[in-house]
Amino acid sequence: MRHTNALGLISRILSGVGLLLVAGALPWLSRTDPAAAILRARYAELEPTEQALAAIRDQLGLDQGPITMSLQWWSAVLRGDLGNSWVSGTEIGPGLLQAVGVSATLTMFAVIVALMITVALVTPAALRVLRDVPQRGSGPVGVALTALPEFLLASVFLVVVGVQLQWLPPYGWTGIDTAILPALALGIPAGGLLGRLLADAISGVAAERWVVIWRLAGAGHRVILAGVFRRASAAVIDQLGLVFIGLLGGAVAVEQVFAIPGLGRYLLGSANSQDIPALQAGVLFMAFAALCVGLVANFLRRLLRGGALPAGSLPPAPEPRNDGRIARWTAVIALVLLLLILVFGLPRDPFLISHDRLAPPGLSLPFGADASGRDLLARVAHGTISTLTPAFVIVLCAILVGLLLAVFGEVARGPAEIANATPPILAGVIIAALLGPSVGAVTIAVLWVTWPPLATHAASLLEEAKAMPHIGWLALAGMSKAEIWVRHVLPAVLPALLRHGMLRLPGVALALAALGFLGLGAQPPQPEWGLLLAEGIDYVERAPWTTIAPALALILTSVFAVALAGLRRPPSSSRHGRNHGGKGVEKESLQLADNPKSMALTGK
Amino acid sequence: MRGEPILEVSRVRANRGHGRHRLQVLAETSFAVHAGQSLALVGISGAGKSTLAQVVLGLHAAANGQVCVQGKKWADTKLRPDRRRRHLVQGVPQDPAAAFVPRWTIRSSIEQAIKRLTDSTMSEKLMLEAAELAHFDPQLLNRHPAQLSGGQLQRAAITRALAVQPAVLVADEPTSALDPDTGESVLTALLDSAEQSNIALLMVTHDPHFAQRCTGMLTLHPPTPDF
Repeated sequence: MRHTNALGLISRILSGVGLLLVAGALPWLSRTDPAAAILRARYAELEPTEQALAAIRDQLGLDQGPITMSLQWWSAVLRGDLGNSWVSGTEIGPGLLQAVGVSATLTMFAVIVALMITVALVTPAALRVLRDVPQRGSGPVGVALTALPEFLLASVFLVVVGVQLQWLPPYGWTGIDTAILPALALGIPAGGLLGRLLADAISGVAAERWVVIWRLAGAGHRVILAGVFRRASAAVIDQLGLVFIGLLGGAVAVEQVFAIPGLGRYLLGSANSQDIPALQAGVLFMAFAALCVGLVANFLRRLLRGGALPAGSLPPAPEPRNDGRIARWTAVIALVLLLLILVFGLPRDPFLISHDRLAPPGLSLPFGADASGRDLLARVAHGTISTLTPAFVIVLCAILVGLLLAVFGEVARGPAEIANATPPILAGVIIAALLGPSVGAVTIAVLWVTWPPLATHAASLLEEAKAMPHIGWLALAGMSKAEIWVRHVLPAVLPALLRHGMLRLPGVALALAALGFLGLGAQPPQPEWGLLLAEGIDYVERAPWTTIAPALALILTSVFAVALAGLRRPPSSSRHGRNHGGKGVEKESLQLADNPKSMALTGK
Repeated sequence: MRGEPILEVSRVRANRGHGRHRLQVLAETSFAVHAGQSLALVGISGAGKSTLAQVVLGLHAAANGQVCVQGKKWADTKLRPDRRRRHLVQGVPQDPAAAFVPRWTIRSSIEQAIKRLTDSTMSEKLMLEAAELAHFDPQLLNRHPAQLSGGQLQRAAITRALAVQPAVLVADEPTSALDPDTGESVLTALLDSAEQSNIALLMVTHDPHFAQRCTGMLTLHPPTPDF
């Protein structure tokens, strides 16, 4: 349909232009008065008089309004002038370049790790193609490798390898030995994800009919493997692009844990000090890199498929084939353990300082005490509440937004694509820089990356619901369009959408925790999982339990998320008559199998 | 009993799809049906029979022409049927389940329609009268659509349509999902009730035998591509 295509294009162009304008106008959007911040940072001796503040506002051009300001910034950028830092007053360009250099090196190491893991995961599937035996799918190893988000993995490496075993330096950026741990922390989940997707793609492609025909025609095993590989990699090349962007800029947490002066830490630093020009430059670079990677991935996909293909000319993406029973048991066990923490922890007081500082775990204090002498079990349990509450709010809002935007259809296409390509951590950094770090800021940031898949799903569910025969005939009974929508279409759509939203809940909680870990979300003394982990890491040498307790809760959530995504609802469980969206959610939950992980990794 | 026709379709054409994918599915068609008469719409697949039924029902906008009911304009290229006159044209779908909300009983679906479309406070009476006309067992009114057989459900759908006292009844292959005997008895119920209530009946059908039993017949031809 041409006019909807045109609508989608217009929507994309408009949101692209909107994004450029917003990027340029970030200082104006910043809620805190930048003039005061700059005055404090640059001229500590000056009194913050109205005159002085006005002079700085004038100098920054804050009075000109957002559009003029944005245009001025862009014209400067096109001349190669990224402006001056608000904090140090020095030029931004050289500092950014240095950070990008470090990040590029780290990304290169991480890609090497990821590729090694991918090869290891894909080899069994490739060997099965060579030997012509039935495929089995990626198996549990890939799932296990992607189970932990990289900020958790980085913390675990730091504690175990860097501090306890002392095999490698725990932090810094001084030589190849300092690059190993961060490269592993970044590369293992990325490689696990890629390997899993590719292995599943290979087993799916190997079952396609042309493979049999090639074999009958006497094609050699190697020829067939090459063909299968080409088809399979075309299917996962977009994911590869997103993973790469995630490694480059989403590595904020890993760089923070290992104190590496890369792009991620640069962004985080400028967000924390509200140095908006530096943030703008960092985001600009990220967006540029993302654009380049997207173009290269698109080009490679066309090359692999031998030209552009009309939609629907390829068989659907392969389904992950993991064992439903193992997934169900894992999910149940993880959930029970989490509930146990809640049951025993919630009655305790998370703020009361009543124990020795860093008291070790014992019978009366199962998880030990933190650096201020507060009960860690209580803090982790209450942290569950303060992590899951915003997660619930986000999921419900995302469903609401998804429904609204699904109604608009193609008009929402542009914003959805941008939101889909934003790593959650980057969204968190930008919004925290604008609004100041708070629970509200990270909630908005995670909401921004959560709504697109729900909107897509809502759109397909709505279409299904409207195609139900009795919906069309309700008009004959004199029902208005609005009433049909509210009383018949919506009730048919909501259950499936709510189920999908709930499946995303653990992933959303982990994204929130990752932002909390960076100090962008809840502020001390609030108990929040990410924040608790960040607090614990400072004392990891003397009292490892301060890290272990929150890490345990997070690992349980990650395992729960991955297991939940691997679940497939048995087809017999569909309830009679009401379950019109059942098929839709099934499809969606299968896609989800790759998602809780990539929520934290790439924001896909 | 000739005079003003109840249903008058003049120069109606219809399209499906938008923009580049727009396709004419109904060639220009004109006809009229008087009270108590029945017109069979026949033609090969793709002739636009079901689309014409939908245009008359007011579920699909025509691309050209207009439909008049009782001499007043009912639907054209934009106009949606007026809610106060909505009861005048009712339909019996090909899949009778479409006439009912799956999670409601037959009774509440019909009651809803009566409440919305008529001023009558005696919905029970209207419902029972309609059930008698349609040969539908009133004992089954409290069941859900899934608990009825195909023939019962088709009679229930006719009951629903007749309960609001329409002037025009559109039936889109009402017997295609039924076995020949049941189809025959449903068709008899439909024709009898239309005649008794002085309704203009428009029936889409594939079956020449059924078409013979109507008072008139109109053969539709697929539109010729116009580019």
